[in-house]
Amino acid sequence: MDVDLLKYAVDYSIKSGAKYAEARYHLNNALEVVMRYDKVVGIGKSKVEGVGIRILYNGQLLFTSTNRLSRDAIKECIDGVLGRGKTLSSLGRIKGLGEAQIGNVSYEVKALKPLDYKPIDVKINELKECYKHAVACLKEATLGSFAVAYRELEEVKGLVTSDGAWVESKVPRVSLLFNFVLSHPQRGTIQRILNLAGSGGLELMDGWRVYDLLAEEVRSVERVLIDGTKPPTEPVDVVLGSEVTGLIAHESAGHPMEADRIWGREAAQAGESYVKPEMLGLNAFNNEFATVVDDPTMPKSYGFYLYDDEGVRARPKYIYLNGRLNEFLHNRWTALLFKTTSNGSARSMNYASEPIPRMSNTYLTPGDYTFEELIEDIDVGVYIKSYQEWNIDDVRWGQRYVGLESYMIRNGELAEPIRNPVVEFTTKAFYSNIVGKSKNLRFYPGECGKGEPPQGVPVWFGGPEVRLGKMRLGVFVQ
Amino acid sequence: MSLDLFEVGRYAIKHSKEVGFTESAVSIRNSERTMVKFANNELTVVQSWSELYVELYLVKDGRIYLVGGPIKAIEDLKAMMSESYDKIRFLERSELYAPLPEPSGRPLSGLVDHVIKEDVSRVAGSVYSLIDACLKEGAERVAGVLDAGYVKYALFTSKGAELEEEKTYVTVYSRAFKGDNSGHWVWTSTRFDERKVSEVGSRAGFYASITKDVVSVDVGRYSAVLSPLIFSNLVNYVANASSALMSLLGLSMFVKYGPGSKVGSEELSVADDPLEVGLPGARGFDDEGISTFKKSIIEKGVFKGYLHNSKTAALMGASTTGNAGWLSPHPWNLIVEAGDMDEDEMVREVRRGFFVLNNWYTRYQNYVEGQFSTVTRDLLLYVENGEAKGSVKRLRVADTFPNVLSNIRGLSRSRYDIRWWEVPTPTRAPFVLVDNILFTRPEI
Repeated sequence: MDVDLLKYAVDYSIKSGAKYAEARYHLNNALEVVMRYDKVVGIGKSKVEGVGIRILYNGQLLFTSTNRLSRDAIKECIDGVLGRGKTLSSLGRIKGLGEAQIGNVSYEVKALKPLDYKPIDVKINELKECYKHAVACLKEATLGSFAVAYRELEEVKGLVTSDGAWVESKVPRVSLLFNFVLSHPQRGTIQRILNLAGSGGLELMDGWRVYDLLAEEVRSVERVLIDGTKPPTEPVDVVLGSEVTGLIAHESAGHPMEADRIWGREAAQAGESYVKPEMLGLNAFNNEFATVVDDPTMPKSYGFYLYDDEGVRARPKYIYLNGRLNEFLHNRWTALLFKTTSNGSARSMNYASEPIPRMSNTYLTPGDYTFEELIEDIDVGVYIKSYQEWNIDDVRWGQRYVGLESYMIRNGELAEPIRNPVVEFTTKAFYSNIVGKSKNLRFYPGECGKGEPPQGVPVWFGGPEVRLGKMRLGVFVQ
Repeated sequence: MSLDLFEVGRYAIKHSKEVGFTESAVSIRNSERTMVKFANNELTVVQSWSELYVELYLVKDGRIYLVGGPIKAIEDLKAMMSESYDKIRFLERSELYAPLPEPSGRPLSGLVDHVIKEDVSRVAGSVYSLIDACLKEGAERVAGVLDAGYVKYALFTSKGAELEEEKTYVTVYSRAFKGDNSGHWVWTSTRFDERKVSEVGSRAGFYASITKDVVSVDVGRYSAVLSPLIFSNLVNYVANASSALMSLLGLSMFVKYGPGSKVGSEELSVADDPLEVGLPGARGFDDEGISTFKKSIIEKGVFKGYLHNSKTAALMGASTTGNAGWLSPHPWNLIVEAGDMDEDEMVREVRRGFFVLNNWYTRYQNYVEGQFSTVTRDLLLYVENGEAKGSVKRLRVADTFPNVLSNIRGLSRSRYDIRWWEVPTPTRAPFVLVDNILFTRPEI
């Protein structure tokens, strides 16, 4: 990392008339292995490295980047974007960026087993074993498709701002994704996409107990395929698993509380929000169980960081707190607009991406019950443990989740599997209708998409098992 | 520092042989891009990018290794190759391996608009006319993007391909708001046309300004006129599923519905056309150096075949379709054949259903079965006996692709060139009239 080059970019921008400038070196080194059954399809390594420069100039926010790491290239980029900004000068109304607690710091996630701890052939042999474990536990179905995508990522960043920030970081990550389709001549097909990921080194793979977990998933999904019946049509108690409630927290708490979305900056892309600026503090759900946190500082998490991409110190944010709309996710631009200070939520996917408000690790807080206690007094209900299909509307209100591994609950116990139960409800209906939460907080990884050009950033989402009041299940086309 | 792409490419091929690779290909992408983003009638950010990115396809005895990164000088290729050679020794022969083909492709000409290449500030400035046009239609506020760029792409292979193609592109979309209503429109091309940019604003504003009382409808099956925005999104999903690699990985409905299967109504024909120079996906040669050509994906409702590179073709006993991707074949430009209906006539044909302007967030429950849902957004009108009776908010289409495609009753004569956030592959699409689609909404 050439720190002098970053300082040059900032100094040159300021000399050119910028009110504020920041330059971020950002390297994403990735290795990816794609396998089909137990055979390698391809192996690729990519190095995405460059400098992103953001400038506040004459009421405009300008962003430029290059992977040509020289002073000449950077000067050319800055001159170019300033020129384009001048063409549109009368449309710029940005007053500035908010004051914030910015860092002068260097931090690193130390891998217990670094990414090069094992040679690549050993890693591939371990991935091949996954297929054997999946096949070995099938009884009646066949494995119609089986694919594995293994990815290692090393992210290195260095940020210099004109108001004094210097933040250097290094975070390794590992992710593993399975896609399998089980087929049966009479029962059709069923598909599961399973993702594991975190920050750290190869020790993460040990902790995931990959073979056991995969075998467990294949067994459970096969049972749903072979024995699954139609879900009930009458209203029933609904219990959602951690995988589902985590996604709900991400989609219907994290996204609608992003301040740039609330202002309208993403209106033409990912949409706006049911939340309006004046609703901050509103008791929207009237339910003490409705507490959602976004916390970038969780060790080993996929969305881990300690300082954001504007140099602001990260901290846990209570987005919803006991049913209230408690805190928006801010970068420094939205913080000034909303007359507050940034809470360190600015993230960029790579050097070519501007920092915008993003989630990190978002979760619905756990409760006190064991799972057994949560369902013990349900006469007839449905438990949706995992999902495949989901979506939510562009203001983050109406949403749908289609269950994958799902069961009937009868007389307080899990009973026969059911296929494709659908819950389709509003954000208010979900958070207002939580009647109990288990103490089992679990996390799941994802790549959250937002921005233009689209930026996918690593996140975790999590939650406990949640019991809702009675509802009628939605419709699914078999 | 400026690098000569031919010098870089030839050096890379020569050096790869010296290192010990048995085959190689090099792609070099040199790009300049500007994007203007606006919301609430004001500029939110002007972004510009300048990039040189090199990717290497390296083979040693059937073992495949891909590597990509920026280079500052030609010597950087040496480090990339020697590190790759250290790694490739430990790999096994790829299931997908097939020898690189003899090159046959030629670059297309006429893909460069010198206004975009040399005066991108003028292109960026057209955002003014978009916003003005939108507000004149009655919209209160508008958001959107103008994205324009110049790309030079060069390909070299150890089979002798030495190809270079350059092109420009512009993609514009806007979303207009009036009260609780919103409209959206899109345009994309290889050439700048300020009148078209302005139309993106006026049409979005027009749709946002259609005000009808909100009505409630039951979950159920309805007819629908789908605009080119939502239909292009669905066609993108279908075309991606036609990639042979997606099928091999179990991420495609064409696992179940193979070539020759009837997956749509006779009215539906979809082709991949890289030779359509008006659309930004145009390309004269694929990433293996093969000539690209127009081919049917769906013809009169029948799935004609997968998109292949030479590797997936060899594995599946087919011929390459000129759609490489070194690993994954992909479409270039999608063209939906026009129908014979007027846009107004299509709405008049609806007895009980909807006019759907736009959608987002399409997700599968099961790729192989084609079971999916997607959420409507922007203008959604409830239509009875050919007349709009009211507006509805954010219903969901929850169905299967074979069912939706098989129930297409008609398509419009007019077609539109679409590319935006939800439609990554440039698509020329008409309005479509579809029967028997399941619409759902939140139960509580």
